[in-house]
Parts: sequence; structure tokens; C-alpha cells
Amino acid sequence: MPETVIKLENVWKIYQLGKIDLPVLSGVSLEVKLGSFVTIMGPSGSGKSTLMYLIGLLDVPTKGKVYLDGKDVSNFSENMLAKIRGQKIGFVFQQFNLLPNLTALENVMMPMIFQGMPENERQERAKKLLASFDMEKRSHHKPNELSGGEQQRVAIARSLANDPEIIVADEPTGNLDSGTGKIIMDALTKLHKEQKKTIIVVTHDPTIADYSENIVHIRDGQIIKNHFQEAKVLW
Amino acid sequence: MLKEYFKVAIKSLRARRLRSWLTILGVVIGVFLIVSLMSLSEGIKTAIMQQLKMMGKDLIMIFPGEITDMATMMGGGLELTENDMGAIKKAEGVETIVPLNYKAEAIRHEGRVKTILINGVSWKDGMDILKNDFGWSLKEGDWPAIGKKEIIVGSAVPTDVFPGMMVGDEAVINGRKFIVSGILKSLGNKQDDSTVTVDLDIFKDITGEKRGAKFVLARVKNGYEVDEVVENIKRNLLETRKRVRGLDSPSFSVLSSEKVMDIVGSILGMIQIAIFGFASIAIVVGGVGIMNTMYTSVRERTKEIGIMKAIGAKNSAINTIFLIESGFFGLFGGLGGMVLGLGLAKAVEFAVKTTGGLYLQASITPQLIIFSLGFSFLVGCISGFLPARQASKLKPVDALRYE
Ligand SMILES: Nc1ncnc2c1ncn2[C@@H]1O[C@H](COP(=O)(O)OP(=O)(O)O)[C@@H](O)[C@H]1O
Ligand SMILES: [Mg+2]
Repeated sequence: MPETVIKLENVWKIYQLGKIDLPVLSGVSLEVKLGSFVTIMGPSGSGKSTLMYLIGLLDVPTKGKVYLDGKDVSNFSENMLAKIRGQKIGFVFQQFNLLPNLTALENVMMPMIFQGMPENERQERAKKLLASFDMEKRSHHKPNELSGGEQQRVAIARSLANDPEIIVADEPTGNLDSGTGKIIMDALTKLHKEQKKTIIVVTHDPTIADYSENIVHIRDGQIIKNHFQEAKVLW
Repeated sequence: MLKEYFKVAIKSLRARRLRSWLTILGVVIGVFLIVSLMSLSEGIKTAIMQQLKMMGKDLIMIFPGEITDMATMMGGGLELTENDMGAIKKAEGVETIVPLNYKAEAIRHEGRVKTILINGVSWKDGMDILKNDFGWSLKEGDWPAIGKKEIIVGSAVPTDVFPGMMVGDEAVINGRKFIVSGILKSLGNKQDDSTVTVDLDIFKDITGEKRGAKFVLARVKNGYEVDEVVENIKRNLLETRKRVRGLDSPSFSVLSSEKVMDIVGSILGMIQIAIFGFASIAIVVGGVGIMNTMYTSVRERTKEIGIMKAIGAKNSAINTIFLIESGFFGLFGGLGGMVLGLGLAKAVEFAVKTTGGLYLQASITPQLIIFSLGFSFLVGCISGFLPARQASKLKPVDALRYE
């Protein structure tokens, strides 16, 4: 049995809108095993992104516990969380979220800068990463000079900058056409297959969910189905 | 990593070029004011103090009127009488006294008539003091002989007032003919260089001001303390005035040359402090501009901040990046202001030199440069402190979700 990297235990996220309590997540429990590929599915507004932010240690729950490698993350300082995000978790967003003033290469180097990697080392690594996504020719372009698919490939390269264990992707193909989306999903599955990365991906596209071995269905902030479908995996 | 943060900061400044320049301009104006005004006022101070320093320490100046009442003193309505002068001469420790008087009169030279200031100085007693203590020396010609109708003219007279005037020329004042016996070297400022000096007896004759003086110089005898003699003169003058006019208000000022330097120095110092204060306010206003820009920038870049936090930026990294930006505004504004300020100071120096006036040298000290750069950088950092803190404290999710 592989070990659990992330565990959510009866997690609630409640926003306060004026006097009304708005629960966005209502008692979610989830375990993500090391090296697994998890798909989270659900309609818009069901709380998928909120869940991803909790998994990615970008947010803290109102109630309940989040464990990383068995440790309660509520005990971690802000600096610790930043460090863990930088080292262990790679993010891919629907809006690509590249830094607009930096080139593709600089964007990929950014996470390494925050970890204090020396200049020549990070330059070399960033170039290699961009090359592995066929983006080396565009490495000196800024995000607004790249297509959506290209930006997302740079974003995936960036998410791998510090060789994280976990990749968290929130609707990575949501802003892409299906052809480009397939390239992105291929890239993610390849990471899972070849580098044994733990991958958690949000989508409401059922064909993409077919890549996955563990599908979590979420609706109105609650997990309604969590099934493992090893038989249907496409690789 | 500071170098990398610096690069990131500069890139985002360049992405908002116009706003960055305008923010820098706000600082430039303040520093420009400080640098130009301070270097010029320091230059003026040095020029004036240098002139004053030529005076011997054993000289005492007696003016009518209170030193605090500049208007009446300069306005010239007041005079020291013959009685006053007698009292000064009799004071213990006084060796010689030199009364000086001046009045504007029309002078004619080769058909041209100009009104200029005429100084009346007793040649007999005053020549040495003018030469030794006031730095008077001749560029051409000779000192006038006592009793002859001769005048000496300031260095600007043959160049500006009566171009072409030469030693030996004739000049007419109030219908009386005089010979120009000598031309002085520059006395350090245009005003003094544009005057004519005659013996006091001749002065009295041509101006009709037979008695009194605007100003008396007294030289202290060897072996006497200057301050002591100042007190003696004050006492004598007070007694004389009480006796003669029944006045007990001491409407005269007795000052040693050192005291004069102190007073002038402190007046100029106060002017400088005022200039400095106003210019500093201008820099602070520039700082407010930086703060405004930084807050706008934090709001605009909220999402970017969220992204940086998601990819591992600690609060301190965000804080540093924003502080570098605001510090850069300050430092760069300071640099620009300094260059412009020094440029203006040099331009004014040049303009004053070519048109005459005070012979001033803009004072550009390393302290002024270091101060203006340091101060503007500091203002930049302080202005950026709160915005940078706000940026670093943003919650990652809130920042990421911000549109
Ligand atoms: N900061 C917030 N304040 C109030 N409501 C929020 C906030 N963030 C998210 N929500 C709400 O939470 C719900 C779930 O959002 P989200 O997790 O983004 O859904 P999904 O990603 O599944 O579309 C939405 O209704 C959204 O409006
Ligand atoms: Mg979402």
C-alpha cells in the first residue's frame, strides 16, 4: 500500500457574506496516495478550486484538518508553507497564471529563485524543462506573445521547476481547445507515468477523467462519489 | 537573491513606464530644489564670509540704529553725529577711528551721466584699513593724494558704468571736476565694484553732508581686549547721548569684526535652514507620490503576488521586491534631482560670473551629494514600507482569486 501524501479530514470551508455563513466545502475527507493520479470532477461553483487550494496549502480550512506526509499543516508557519509550496507542490492553473513581465525562461526560473538555486544551475534546468515541452524556441517570449497552449506548457514546466512530488492542476485545459488540451493532458500523464509524480487534476471534462485511476465527484461542497477505476485507465 | 529580486522589481517598473517616470519626477523636483538651493546658498555664504574674513580682528564697527532693526540701518536715515564720533575716539583702547559715509550722486564722464554710490573715507586714517582689512588694492594708477581733487573707482566702473574710463580721465560730480587717479581690483561683489571713493573732506564738500557718518570704524590699540573696547565705546556713546540729547535709548550698534561675522554667518545659516526645510518638504511630497504609486501597484499586481506565493515566495521575498521598487524610485529620483540641481547651480554660477554681481562658486560637497541621495532613498524606502507590507501579508488564495 503506497503511503498517503495528502489527507483531508472532515474539512469545512465557510465564507462569511455579511451575516450569512456560506459553506463552500462541507465536511470533505480525502486521501491522496503517493504516485496516484486523482481527478476531481464537479459542476462549476461546486468548490473544486477551493478544495485544490487547500490541497496545495494555499488556504487553510475553517474546520477540519489537512495533513501533509502525516503532519498537521495548521502547525506550520507561513514561511514553512511557502517553502513547502515551493519545493513539494507544483501548480498549474486554468488561467495559466504566468508572471506577465517575465519571459518564459524567467517564469520557469522563478520558483528556483525563491529556493535560492544558483544562477547557472537554474538557467540550465529551466532550459531543459522548456525543451522537454518543445518550448525552447519560445523561451525569450513573454506570456502575451504566446498562445494559450504554449503558456500552459510553460506553466507546466514552471510547476516542475523544483522537481516537486505533487502537481496540482486546476482545470488546466479549461481555457484551451480540445486539441491543445490533449497535448497538456498528455504532458501531465507522462509526468505521472515516467516520473511517478502524484497528480491531482480538476476538470469537468469526462474524457480527461478517463486518464485517471481515482475520480472524485464533488457537488455543493461535498464528495458524492469517490471511485477507483484501474480497469479503464488508458495507458 | 537580492539581485534577482532587483531584476523582477525593475521589470515591473518598466512595465508601467509612464507612471514610474512620473513618480520619479516627483522626487526629482524635491532633490533638485535641495541640491541647487543648498549649493548656491552655501556658495553665497562662502563668498560673503570670505570677504568678511579679510577684516582684521582688531576692528570695531559702529553703526547707528539697532542691529536687529535692519530696515532703518540699511535705509540710512540714521547717522552718527560729530559728538558720537568724539565719544568713540575718546573711549579707552581706541587707537584710530575712520568715519565712512556714502551717498548716491550723479557723475558725468565724457558726456554720459550716471548716478552711482560715492563713498567718503578719511584718507589719512582710513587708507591703511581699507588696504589691509578690506583688501583694497589697485589694478591701475595710484592712490589719491590727500588734498587733491582725485577719486578712485571700483573695478566695474570702467567696464560697466562708464565703459572706456581710464586713469587720468576727468569726471564731474556736482559741478566739480575730479581726476581718476586709480582703478581698484575687484572687491568681491558687483555692488562694491561699482562705486567711487573720495576723501571724506571732499565728500562733505560735494554732497553737502558736512557732519556725521553712516558708519565708523575703530581700531583697537595694542594690548587691549577687543570685547573690552567694544564695551568702552558703548558706555561712552551712551553717556554722550544722554548728556547731549537726553536720550537713553542706545540706538547704535557696536560690533567687533568677529561679532559681525557671527551675525552674518548665523543669518545666512538661518536662511539655509529655511531653504533646506522647504526643499525637504518637497522631497516628502515626492515620497507621498511614491506611496500612492506603490499602493496602486500592489492592488494591480495582487494576482501576481498570489502567483509568486503559490510558487514558493515567502512574505519576505514579496516585501523585498516592493521595497526595492520604492527605494529605486527614491534613489533614482534623487540621482536625477541631483544632476539637474548641480546643473542649475553651475549654470547660475556661470551666469553670475558673466553678468557680474557676487563672485560666487556653487558649493558642491560630497556631504550634499551623499545626503540628497541617502535622504531620497530613505524617503523611498519609508514610503514603500506600508504598501510592501500590505503586499507581503496578502493571503495566497485571496490574491490568486483577485481579478
Ligand atoms: N472568497 C470568497 N468569498 C465568498 N465566496 C467565495 C469565495 N471564494 C469562493 N467562493 C464561492 O465558493 C464557491 C465555490 O467556488 P470554487 O471553489 O471556485 O468553485 P469551482 O472551482 O468548483 O467552480 C463559489 O460559489 C464561489 O462563489
Ligand atoms: Mg474553479
